[in-house]
Parts: sequence; structure tokens; C-alpha cells
Amino acid sequence: MAALPALDLQKTDPLDALKPWAPTAAEPWDRVRATHLFRRAAFGATPAEIDRALADGFPKTLDRLLAGEPDAADRTEVLTEAGKFYTDPANLRAWWLYAMVEGGHPLREKLTLFWHNHFATSHAKVRSTARMFEQNVTLRKHALGRFRPFLLDMSKDTAMLVWLDSNRNVKGAPNENYAREVMELFSLGVGNYTEQDVREAARAFTGWHHDAEAKTFENNPALHDPGEKTILKQTGRWAGADVVRICCDHDACPRFLAGKLYAFLVSETPPPERLLAALAAQLRKTDYDLAGFVRTLLGSRLFFSGQAYRKRVKWPVEYAVGAVRAVTPGRVALSDLPDPLARMGQVLFAPPNVKGWRTGTDWLNSATLLARNNFAETVALGQLSRDPVRRGPVRGVEFARPVPPPAFLTPNGAAPQAPAPPVPLDDHDPVSVVYATKPKDVPAVVRRIGELLYGEPLPAKAAARLEAFLKEPPGPDLPPRAPGGAYRLDPPDHVGLEGVARFTDGASNTYRLNEDGTVVLGGRKSSTAELLGGEPVAVAPRPRVAAVQPPADAPPPRGVRPPPDVNSAEFKARVREALHAAMCLPEYQLN
Amino acid sequence: MTTRRDFLTRTLGASSLLAVGPAVPDFLASAARAADQADKPKDTVLVVVELTGGNDGLNTVAPYADDLYHKARPTLGLTKKEALRLDDYCGLHPRMGDLKRLFDEKRLAVVQGVGYPNPDRSHFESMDIWQQADPRRGQASGWLARTVPGMTVKGAGVPGMYLGTDRLPVAMQGADGGVISLADRSSFKLQLSGNGVARKKLVEDLNADAGGPAADLAAFVRRRQLETYTSLQKIEEALAEAGGGDGRVPPELNVTRGFRPDDVRGDGLNSLGGRLGLIARLIGKGLGTRLYYVQHDGFDTHSGQAKTHGDLLGQLSNAVGNFLGMLGEHADRVVLMTYSEFGRRVKENGSRGTDHGAGSCLFVAGNKVAGGLVGKHPSLADLTDGDLRHHTDFRRVYATLLDDWLGVESRGVLGDRFEKLPLIDATKKGPANPGPLGPQPVPFGPRPAAPDPIVK
Repeated sequence: MAALPALDLQKTDPLDALKPWAPTAAEPWDRVRATHLFRRAAFGATPAEIDRALADGFPKTLDRLLAGEPDAADRTEVLTEAGKFYTDPANLRAWWLYAMVEGGHPLREKLTLFWHNHFATSHAKVRSTARMFEQNVTLRKHALGRFRPFLLDMSKDTAMLVWLDSNRNVKGAPNENYAREVMELFSLGVGNYTEQDVREAARAFTGWHHDAEAKTFENNPALHDPGEKTILKQTGRWAGADVVRICCDHDACPRFLAGKLYAFLVSETPPPERLLAALAAQLRKTDYDLAGFVRTLLGSRLFFSGQAYRKRVKWPVEYAVGAVRAVTPGRVALSDLPDPLARMGQVLFAPPNVKGWRTGTDWLNSATLLARNNFAETVALGQLSRDPVRRGPVRGVEFARPVPPPAFLTPNGAAPQAPAPPVPLDDHDPVSVVYATKPKDVPAVVRRIGELLYGEPLPAKAAARLEAFLKEPPGPDLPPRAPGGAYRLDPPDHVGLEGVARFTDGASNTYRLNEDGTVVLGGRKSSTAELLGGEPVAVAPRPRVAAVQPPADAPPPRGVRPPPDVNSAEFKARVREALHAAMCLPEYQLN
Repeated sequence: MTTRRDFLTRTLGASSLLAVGPAVPDFLASAARAADQADKPKDTVLVVVELTGGNDGLNTVAPYADDLYHKARPTLGLTKKEALRLDDYCGLHPRMGDLKRLFDEKRLAVVQGVGYPNPDRSHFESMDIWQQADPRRGQASGWLARTVPGMTVKGAGVPGMYLGTDRLPVAMQGADGGVISLADRSSFKLQLSGNGVARKKLVEDLNADAGGPAADLAAFVRRRQLETYTSLQKIEEALAEAGGGDGRVPPELNVTRGFRPDDVRGDGLNSLGGRLGLIARLIGKGLGTRLYYVQHDGFDTHSGQAKTHGDLLGQLSNAVGNFLGMLGEHADRVVLMTYSEFGRRVKENGSRGTDHGAGSCLFVAGNKVAGGLVGKHPSLADLTDGDLRHHTDFRRVYATLLDDWLGVESRGVLGDRFEKLPLIDATKKGPANPGPLGPQPVPFGPRPAAPDPIVK
């Protein structure tokens, strides 16, 4: 797929790369760039949002993303009120997904997600939705704010205090858990502090506890070690707030944050040293103005270059919410998303450990990629709120369930009955989104699919393959798995029948089974003794029967077929299937 | 006399044409090969066998030479003559010939007196404690789940796999996207509702187009997609080979003792032997998964224990012996451990059974296992509430397997440091000669193909 213009970071002055991008005739503000921006600064865009962004122009669009919709504050207030009452983490997860989609300020939600991973805290240990909710509110409050008060608030956040054992950190018996993570993971990064710094910082944090019910922060002076500490070469009678200040003053802090935000918003390829230094300098100079920093990144020439375009692996939340927003016409029950998200490897409010999720290419293994492909199927076929997507293993079912006879092998060579595709739910049916532009023919449909999913046409080869698929009538379903690698014929007395065996790779062969113990396969007669007796022999290369007489009511041969009616129900079923396949392209995993 | 059904099954039915292409499409195969060679991270495998219900350790490793044992177990106790001698004090249950052979070959460690303080005698509570590896109950996720983030896995491999139909065991809960459940034949597959044949081909074709430089992120994802489809194919093949549904006895069920014909009739995968055999096949196919979890249920023997328990131990022993035999060249990178939520009361009850107890023994088996008895048998003279006292915290077993076998830092997983046990000897060479008790070595690999009746 087309990439944005290259920008050689080894040769370009970092300050040039960070200069504001402005559209030109050669590099216009177009659908490709708008969808790119919305994938990063939001959770993808609906077709309407892209249209509005193109009408508004780039500066206004970027302003709106940074400020949120005019009513974002009201929406946030309502959402925040509602969030207080959930006691089930599953509901809290759905609640946050609603905030992302309906909160009117997707960029802030995106950064809230970033900070959730940065200050990774899990309900698995905290065991309180109320505390996790409150932490989420704090993350949102500071997401585009300033880092110093942010880090201070997080150091006093109740969920964090529970998560990192703060109550075990007392004078005379310090627990280093929080002190270590505040340096290693929250502000400086490995290698920028010593073990001695950790020990001393732990002493400074002694007495920063939560109350007995783990409801709120509580400073416990009786358990605080008031002695002198030396932290990162600064000596004094430091307490918790001093550690936060000292860490934020340290040169490693702006570099560490700049690098992480760059990976999240621009590219997972680390920036060259000069660029990182320039980014860190901006954070330092502005005293950690996060909104300004995000604006610099998202509005830069760098951002609209090949250096950033599709240079990140989508996080599962970005993948799932983005897919739903791109192709679903109605409002989707977002409570249906946490289950598939778990299969993709991201349970909100439950990162695997304090380091957060393993992002980048680590998001993708066989299980998680399959989960993405299968989620795409559910969305593309308009089935999201139907139950298969939530279906887990069925309890009590035998491990090797006997399989029914194969549907694709029918006696007497009758054409197998293709199972009807599932009926989409009306407000989930992507066809209405695809058809919003009233495509006239198959190529137009494929162009529209590319536009919806990628903001640009699909590569020619993929487009041609999809067009070919769309012109084909539906074929048989995949057979169920069977024990022993074989499909049983059931009932067992088909002897004497003849027919056409249709195989999963599209080949077929005629057979006739005779009472006298002979079998005619592919036109040649064999004796069963020959087939059944003696030692197994090497399998001959698979023959294909060139001309099997098609049944009378079969469609005319390839090439003669008239172009499909793009408005027929059957064709629309193919469109959903093609949409799913287009969501299985590697590029769809990238942001 | 061949019945019509057999005839059809063996001519049409068993032909490879009717199976879902047994050969991986070429482009998938070459992509997978390239990926196999590209990275060689640690690939040791741990198989965990849960003995559900509370295994009676005292009749698993019986202190036959102890009078207190025979006094407490007047009807159930195993005599010196019956027990398979491990040392002058204790011996294995007579049905565990394979495990005895592995012990003699120094491939089986018998860890004695394993438990945790203040044992909980509820099945569910104690199971959770073992699986979360936290007697204080501060953890919400399982110990194997917590192992996943620190573990390197080859290619696009799924780090952990549970083979069974229950909900995911607690030990594996919390590793989102890192663990799959192979619960039935349809549980791990590309979802294609309708028009499946054409759509599968379409998705594969779209991903086969290998454009762009290899270092490109999209090229990486494409490779991962192909590896995923290859994994699906491998699982499908392994299931097909292991199923035994065509009337043949798959090698993992071809055992000399403890064999039930039922195991072969299409539901071979419902037995421990069948599932361990399936794991051996998956390992043999290079699936990349490093943690496997299976269950062997029925150990809650409150009454009439002798036969039930003997059968279960016989199945366990056969299954484990056969499993190690099937691994072939992969045997050096696999270790299997068993555990149960608790042992049972020392004194047998009035119904020739035993009630819930505390500390017990467990087995660790594999070519790289430093075999032998690990720790003393707990004293029968020094009981707590009628139960054996443990002397080895079960997390020491976990810590050893994490650090010495999987290469995952145990402190991060267990939240504390635990003294290790002498369980793993990475320098060990292959196994000694199989003992006379063992089954014939079973060659690993697909069974010979049936003659293909479709001829030119």
C-alpha cells in the first residue's frame, strides 16, 4: 500500500522533522493522511468523521482532536458520574470503551490508555473497581496535562498504593516496591539510578499509605523515616513529594517519557539520538506540557512521513474499536468487546504486571492474531452482538466429539447445498456502510472497502483477488474436523451409490461402489481386495478429473457468467465476506 | 468380513483427499521453515498434569517398611511384596510399572512431603492455592499465566495450551492471549461462517503476496499470519492423527497394561494417555507452545479406594511412560510434573477409602530430570490433625522449574525467592536403556497412510 513520503532521519535535522506539517499540492490533506491521524490521535474514524476532517482542513482538525468536541466536558462529567457505580470489572471495561467512543475527546482517552499502560495497575491485585475507576479518572485528568502533578497524584493513588505494597513500607523496614518502579518504570528507565537510590527513595516514601479500608491516601508520620537521604545525588530529609520532584528534575525523565510517547504516537522504531534529544528538550523547556508535546508530534512533518505511516502494531483496543467504528453503521454494544479483547491479549484494568502490556510485535502470536481475524469476521458479517463471539469452550462436551457426516459429500453427485450465511443484525450490517456511496459495480465495491478500512485503495493484486472472489457464487463450507483425519460416511450403507466426491480444495472425483466388492473411482475399476489387503502402498499423486459433468442446474462455466447484481442479497453476503478477508491483510494490524 | 461401513471408511473415508489438505500449502510451509530458522530462543517445554480430587500420596509412594503405615491402613496398605521398591523404606504403587522404570533410568524425581503451611482441605480452596501459587491468596492470576510474560516463544507460538473441556484452569487464568484452550475440535480455528472453502483460500491468497522488504513491519505481520495458519494446520493434523477415529489404535494408546478399548473408539482424546499423546504430537510438529496443562480426574477416593486408585495410577503411569517414549528426538526439551491439591488422611476410613489430607508427593519426569527421591518421606509418627506434615513448600518445585527449566525468573512469578530443589540436570545425556517393564518404544510420527484408492 502507498506509503507517505520518506523522511530520512539520519540526514534530516530533527528540528526540521518536528516542524509543523502543512498540506501542499504534492502532499495534500487527503483521506490517507486523515485516517492516519485518526488512527493515532483517536480510535480510528467513522466515514462521517473523515468527511468532516477533509472539509475542515488539517489545522482545524488537529485543534479539535486536542481540545475535544465542544461538549466533551459535559460528556466526561456524565460518564464520570456513571462510572462510580460499577462493581463488576467487566462493566468498568465496557464503561471505558464507551468513554473512548462517546466521550467526545478520543485523543484524551487515547492518552489515558497510554498512561494506564505506563502506570500499569491491575484489578487482579487491587480487587476494587472503585479504586481502579478513581485511578482511571486521575489518568484522564492528567493525560494531556503536566507530568509533575501527575506523578505526584499517582504516587498517592490508592490503587497504586495497594498495587505496590505501600503499606508495607515503614520506617526501619522499608519496602522498595514503589520506589523502584517510580524510577525504573514511571520516570527514569533502567540504568539511570542506582540500587542505593532505590533504597533511599523507599525510605523517603515510608508512611505514604492507604487507610485501613484501602479507600484513600493517608500520610502516616509515625511510620515515616525522617532521616537524611541521598537520592540521585541530592541530599536532604526527603519525603515522597521530594522523590517525585527529584525524579522529574533528572535529565533522564524527559528523555524516558519522550521515547515512550514517540513509540505510542509516531513509530515503534526508536528515534535517532538527535531527535530524541530534541523531543526531550521540548518536554524539559515546557516543564512537561504534555498537550503541547502531543501537538508537536501529531502535527509534525515527521508524523506525515513514511517514518510514521503504519509503523506501529495496533493495540487490541485500537484494533477492535477501530474496526467497529469503520464499518458498523449503528451503535454497537461495546460490552461485547471485552471478551474478544481478552483473546487478543488486552484486558483493560488488568495489565499482566507493573511493566504493562508487551506492545509492538509482541501483541501478535497465533492465538491473538487468530482472535483478531475472528473478531473481524464477527464484525464484517454483522454478528457482533450475536453470541458466537462470546462463546467459550462448552462445559461437559467430549473432547473428541464425534462429527456429523460431511455436508459437502452428497450421494448421487447432487450439488452440495451451500449453507446460508448468517443473517446480519440490521444496525451492525457493514453493507450499509459499504453501500453508502452507492457503488455501481464490483471494482467500485472493492475500492470502497479499501477506503473504509485503509483510507486508500487496496494494492492492485489484492483488489483483483477480491474482485474475483466477489464474482464467484458461494461454495461449500469447510467440513467439520473428524477423528482420524477422515470423514465417516453416515449412514453406512451407501454401497451401490455413485456420485461425485467434492473435495475441499475444489477438486472432485466420480465414484461408484458396487455390491460385488468393486469400486470405480475416477473411471477406473479396482477390486476392494486390492485396496484393502496387503501392505499400504505409496500414495499416488492426486489426480484431478478434468471434466466432471456439471449438474443441469449448475451456473454456466467461468468467463461466460454475467456480472453479478451488486444489489442482490447474495452479492451483499459476498461483500461481507470480502470485507472480512480485507481485514485479514497484514496492514490491518498496523496503525 | 469387512462391513460396508468399514469398506467405505477405509477406501473413501481414509483417503487423504477427503481430509482437509494434510499437506501444508507450499507457501505456508516455506514461510514457516524460514521462521523456524530465523529465531532459536529457548524452547523447553513444561507439561503439568493435575491429579484432580486429592491423590493419596501414601498409596502412591507407600512407606511399606513402616509399621505405622500398615496400622493406619489395614485394608489399603501396600506390602513390601506389592510395592515397587524405591528404597528400603518406600515403594511405588504396583500399577506404576512405567514410572518405576523411569525411576530406575533416573528420569523420574519423586518429590516427597510437598505442601504449604496451614493446609486447606477444601478441594476448591486448595486447588486455587496450588494454581495461584499463593497460600495467602493475594494473587488473582495463575502461576503459569504469570510465567507467560517472561517467557520467550518461538515464532508465533502460543505460549500455553490447556487440553480439556472445563473452563481454563486457574493456573492459566490471567494470561490473556497467551493461553488457548484446546477444548474440542472446533475451538482453535479460523472462523468462517459459510462459504468456508473459498474464503479460506481467499484469506491465504491475500496473505501469500510477499511484497516489501523483510525488515518491514507489514512483512513481519504477514509472516506471523502465515505462521498462525500453519499452527492451525498443525493442530488439525495432530488431532487427526491422534484421534483414533478410523478404528486403528494410535500409538499413544497402544499400551500393554491399563488399556481400555473404550479409549480408542473415537474418543481416545478423552483419556490422559490420548491427551498426552496429542501433546507429544504437537511438540513433534514444532508448534512452539511451552506450557501444556492436562487433568486426570477421579482421585477423590473416599470409599472403595483400592481399585479406583490403582486404575488411575496405572493410567497415569502408562500415559507418562508412553508420552516420554513418543517424544523421540524432542524428549530432551520436555519435562512433565504432576501435582494434586492435597494428599489424604493417613488413617483409612470405615469405607475402605481415605479422607482429605494435607502434604503429599509429586512426580517430575523427563530426560533432563535428576532422578531419584527428593526429600525424606514425611514421618508417620509426627502428624498434624492426622495428616502428614509437609517439609517442602510446593513453590520450591515451581521455582526450580521456572528458573532451571523454563528460564523464567521465579521471583517475578512467585513474588518471593524460594530455595531450589535438585530436580533438573541440564547436562544429562539421553535416557538409559528402557527397562524390561516398559512398553515397546513407540516410533513417533504419523501412521502410515492408507492406500489411496483414487488412481489415475
